Amino acid sequence: MKKNKHWWTSLQIGNSLALLIIAAILIQLTGAVQYYFARNGIRNEVEHHAKTEMTVKHLEIQQMVSGVESAVENVRWLLGWAVDNPETIYPILEEFVKSNPDIRGCAFAFVPYHFKEMGRWYEPYVMRDTNGVLIQKQIADASHDYHQMTWYKEGLVADNGRWTEPYIDNEGAHGMICTYTIPVRNEKGEPVAVFGADLSLNWLTDQFAVQEGSKEVSFLVSREGRLLACPDKDMIMKYSLEDIRPQNNDAQIETINKEMLAGHEGSAKVKDNHGDTRIIYYSPVGGRTGWSMAIVFSEKEMYKGLRSVAIKLQILMILGFALMVYIMWRTVKGFKRLQTVSAEKERIGSELRIASNIQNGMLPKTFPPYPDLDELALYGILMSAKEVGGDLYDFLVRDYKAYFCVGDVSGKGVPASLVMAVTRSLFRSVSARIEDPGQIMSQINNAMSEMNENTMFVTLFIGVLDLHTGNLTYSNAGHCAPVLLGEKPTPVKMDANIPVGIMADWQFTSQSVTLKPGQTLFIYTDGLTEAENATQKQFGEERMMEILAKSGTTPRPLIENIIQEVHNFVGQAEQSDDLTMLAVQFTKPRASEPRVSEPNHIISNSIILHNDVQEVPVMTDFVERTAEQANLDPSVTMTLTLAIEEAVANVMKYAYPEGEVGPIEIDATIKDGSLSFTIKDSGTPFDPTQVKKADITLSAEEREIGGLGIHLIRNIMDTVEYHHTSNQNILTLTKNIE
Amino acid sequence: MKTSIEQQNGELIAVLEGRLDTSVSAKTEQELQPLYDSQDQNIVFDCNKLEYISSSGLRIFLNVLKVAKSKGDRVFITGANADINKIFAMVGFTNLFEFR
Repeated sequence: MKKNKHWWTSLQIGNSLALLIIAAILIQLTGAVQYYFARNGIRNEVEHHAKTEMTVKHLEIQQMVSGVESAVENVRWLLGWAVDNPETIYPILEEFVKSNPDIRGCAFAFVPYHFKEMGRWYEPYVMRDTNGVLIQKQIADASHDYHQMTWYKEGLVADNGRWTEPYIDNEGAHGMICTYTIPVRNEKGEPVAVFGADLSLNWLTDQFAVQEGSKEVSFLVSREGRLLACPDKDMIMKYSLEDIRPQNNDAQIETINKEMLAGHEGSAKVKDNHGDTRIIYYSPVGGRTGWSMAIVFSEKEMYKGLRSVAIKLQILMILGFALMVYIMWRTVKGFKRLQTVSAEKERIGSELRIASNIQNGMLPKTFPPYPDLDELALYGILMSAKEVGGDLYDFLVRDYKAYFCVGDVSGKGVPASLVMAVTRSLFRSVSARIEDPGQIMSQINNAMSEMNENTMFVTLFIGVLDLHTGNLTYSNAGHCAPVLLGEKPTPVKMDANIPVGIMADWQFTSQSVTLKPGQTLFIYTDGLTEAENATQKQFGEERMMEILAKSGTTPRPLIENIIQEVHNFVGQAEQSDDLTMLAVQFTKPRASEPRVSEPNHIISNSIILHNDVQEVPVMTDFVERTAEQANLDPSVTMTLTLAIEEAVANVMKYAYPEGEVGPIEIDATIKDGSLSFTIKDSGTPFDPTQVKKADITLSAEEREIGGLGIHLIRNIMDTVEYHHTSNQNILTLTKNIE
Repeated sequence: MKTSIEQQNGELIAVLEGRLDTSVSAKTEQELQPLYDSQDQNIVFDCNKLEYISSSGLRIFLNVLKVAKSKGDRVFITGANADINKIFAMVGFTNLFEFR
């Protein structure tokens, strides 16, 4: 059992543990999945944001750049004309600057000696100064040999307009300039000059300035990889893609740079010098400029918010998990406590059973208790409502006197049982030396009162029966009055004495009454009169007296009959109180000369059966036991058993109406060399001795099936007598055994 | 109480074992039903192991005998001990049954 429990407990804990682990895994899994999707979402969001940003910047740059491009294209025809008419050059340039507010200035860069008078270098230029005033000047001379410059050389031979690499203009407004150039041809179609329109790029710086709270950095590079715009103004035009790349990851950066410079669109992930991963999106912008723009995100920055949310979530999960562990721990503990409680209950239960056995062992159980005493018949029973109870009975015989008591301790259960045990042993010890029941009671009372700390009291009846005379002295301490049986059941007279254990030094009185031979004193506890049936109706004194009137005076059948009646009355209801009964019969006066030996050994046994043939084996046992006491040989025992069975079976089958339960009492007495069985029932009056004798001489065809029973009884027994008194069939079968 | 029925040499043998008292007679009579149903063969009550019999058991014997006789069959009792035989004698079975 213990092992089993242990196994069960560990299974419980094992289950809980498994559950916890699964819960932890689930929680973590949920967190991971959530983190994964949130991360993806953020990435998508960032990517989307980058593309939008890129598009916006792209559009702005495009607008600016193509504004210049189309303005130049629009005047292309005029420029061709102007190169052949020197006087129109400045007016045209002026007009062009004036009508295009985005253009800072414009110039013709002529081939050497296009106008002989202007010499080798001629570059008429009109620009807007910081105040918006247009200024004309010829900016070329030997020190500024534009003929050697790439923009001029390439611009002159190109078919279409092209943008120069941005540069810092120290001449005019001191800013970053980018020039859109187209070749200008004369009437003959020869390229004679490069026309250039300057676009100030200062506005780009503002465009790429870092915005408050933005997680990304964007920058713009020129066709050659020079930084045109980036958050750090000091880097503009001074650094190129080559300069800003991280030291590691060369190959990857190389690829990105190439891609960007080639004007491709794309994205990549790069680890920077600090190990932080950066995501870069790049895309070409600005029409013919060949510029490329890039947006760079730090992954760390990007997921910073997510990480803080994830950490908070993790903490919440751990808290939740801890709560779960706690609840489970409490539950398992609760289970254990429950187990402990039920084990405790079981232990108390088993101890109660032991206590019950001990208590039962205190009561005299052997009946008849004094088979050698002709003068006394005695039978007692105690039925506890609980495992242990507070009722008691006891008796002893000393100096031809029978001392007996019946008591009821206040309360029930273990406390009552302890007081009961004390009372019983006090009765034993006191009555061993004192004869007067009042004095016995007083002594018990003094002892009980002294140690009675829980104010428990006992109602007690003590009787002393003189076996010579039948004189009964008794003392009653608050107990219900015993009933004297013989003629008419009569309660004995009672002095008013208080229960035992309440007040020390109370002088209990003794009373006396003389029993006639055959009279019986019936003592009981209130468990009998207060026995309740399912409808809370009590058995009652009236019913008890009625039953006592017809139960005879032989102690054992008397009490067994009452038990039967109580059972019938109570039915399925639970026994509410302890029930104790003791019957003491003064059978006959003791012979004045006590016999030295007893030639006429008396055995008196009795049993109560019911009208059920299944109880025949019980009857057989009873007869065989009695026969053994009478030292009968097996052959006689068998025929005797047969005779009694015939008589009893007849009563079982026919005495009571079909379906009604009724008692059958068998008393066996061995006396004066004869063994007699008295079979009593309270069924239909029937005299078996009047049954017609079976004629055993008839042939099989003529023989009647019945009548064999009484025939056998007559054959086996020596006398068969039938009486019908006080509503009872009494059949006495006697066999001489000497 | 135990009963068994055997077919042997053209006879129906009822072996009775134990105490045949009132408490078991009804059950025993049911178990011996084949004896009532038998036809054209003799019936033997084997009482070697019968320890006790009361009138309820004797009635079964008597009933079986009546039925068998009406069909012209014979009923034997065998192996009964002295005590049982004494009972059979008391109720006059010695005149009715064939003992062997």
